[in-house]
Amino acid sequence: LLAAGGMLESDLSNAVTLLKNLQEQVMAVTAQVQALTKKVQAGAYPTEKGLSFLEVKDQLLLMYLMDLSHLILDKASGGSLRGHAAVLRLVEIRTVLEKLRPLDQKLKYQIDKLVKTAVTGSLSENDPLRFKPHPSNMMSKLSSEDEEEGEAEDGHSEASGKKSVKGVAKKYVPPRLVPVHYDETEAEQEKKLLERAKRRALSSSVIRELKEQYSDAPEEIRDARHPHVTRQSQEDQHRINYEESMMVRLSVSKREKGRRKRAHVMSSQLHSLTHFSDISALTGGTARLDEDQNPIKRKKIPKKGRKKKGFRRRR
Amino acid sequence: MNDTVTSQTRKFMTSRPLQKKQIVIDILHPGKVTIAKTEIREKLARMYKTTPNVILVFGLKTHFGHDTTTSFGMIYNSLDCKKKNQPKHRLSRHGLCEQKKISRKQQKERKNGMKKVRGTLNSRRIINFKKK
Repeated sequence: LLAAGGMLESDLSNAVTLLKNLQEQVMAVTAQVQALTKKVQAGAYPTEKGLSFLEVKDQLLLMYLMDLSHLILDKASGGSLRGHAAVLRLVEIRTVLEKLRPLDQKLKYQIDKLVKTAVTGSLSENDPLRFKPHPSNMMSKLSSEDEEEGEAEDGHSEASGKKSVKGVAKKYVPPRLVPVHYDETEAEQEKKLLERAKRRALSSSVIRELKEQYSDAPEEIRDARHPHVTRQSQEDQHRINYEESMMVRLSVSKREKGRRKRAHVMSSQLHSLTHFSDISALTGGTARLDEDQNPIKRKKIPKKGRKKKGFRRRR
Repeated sequence: MNDTVTSQTRKFMTSRPLQKKQIVIDILHPGKVTIAKTEIREKLARMYKTTPNVILVFGLKTHFGHDTTTSFGMIYNSLDCKKKNQPKHRLSRHGLCEQKKISRKQQKERKNGMKKVRGTLNSRRIINFKKK
């Protein structure tokens, strides 16, 4: 009992000092609030042309303060807060304010800019709003220069003018005038195949991982597209794109069905898990034949005569 | 349609000369059979705020082993545009056009019979008349 009494005494002195502080602060705050209300009533802060969002926020905050002060009054005069109507009102206003907060975030940039313009009276130098669009920047300056030059020269103006106006770079194809003797022997053909297989083996996943292991360069992690993209899957994608853009359904030939079935069977089994790409070109073993690598050569349709109409199927 | 069936539209394109809008529809129907075309038409009608009779749905393809179907849809500006621009077999599905039902066997017999005959109808008539 004595200990409890002692604690009460020390608390009492603290409480008295706190109450005195509170009284001083309350007097200062009331003076400020009264000055503000006089100003508002005099009409020093017109909000008609302002953002209604901010006005809503102001009103909500004022209502929150009123309810809070009502609660404090009740509690200070010894009443209980249980089931008090002001508590519900406070909760409602608080939820609305919280929902307004993300909107506030989104508008922050705009409001800051408006305030800045209001204060300084003009836009800053780096403001992108200051830059007008210049359609003359879109035109290619090179072609216009050539045209002017062509017109200036009266001698061979027409030919050069026409050539430069085209401007599109075409790949240079040397003309096939004289037939050249085909001299590739068996040995050379084999060498070529070996070269090709070597190049393919160098870029296979096995060799790449070995390189990564022994190189000093930092490890790159790339967001790779599907790692097992096969010829069949690419063709399927091409077919789907065609169907959806032309709004037609293409028929699937028997050969195509067989290919798809074989590809599906191979990929659905665990057969391909342990079969990596063929690096026998580097290690010097027997080559493993895969349909994608050694396709059966079929008669080539001349590229010039082929028309783009229709879906080009793989034979 | 139930809530479990969801549809997603892709590749929307408006075609002014053909007076239509075309669209690719992906439908997800877990645990169900492929959705009927009439239901898809109604759903599109609600989405684009038109009547179902100007909408055409075709080319439904259900992906094997998955619960999705891809289909094509065309929304015409009016029924007349639809009648003019669509092939007869699609219109007959909606009851707007009657297709002649000549059996396959008869078509082939007629074609084989025509192989033996030479010349146009008029010239044949003249020749027959002259023979008689």
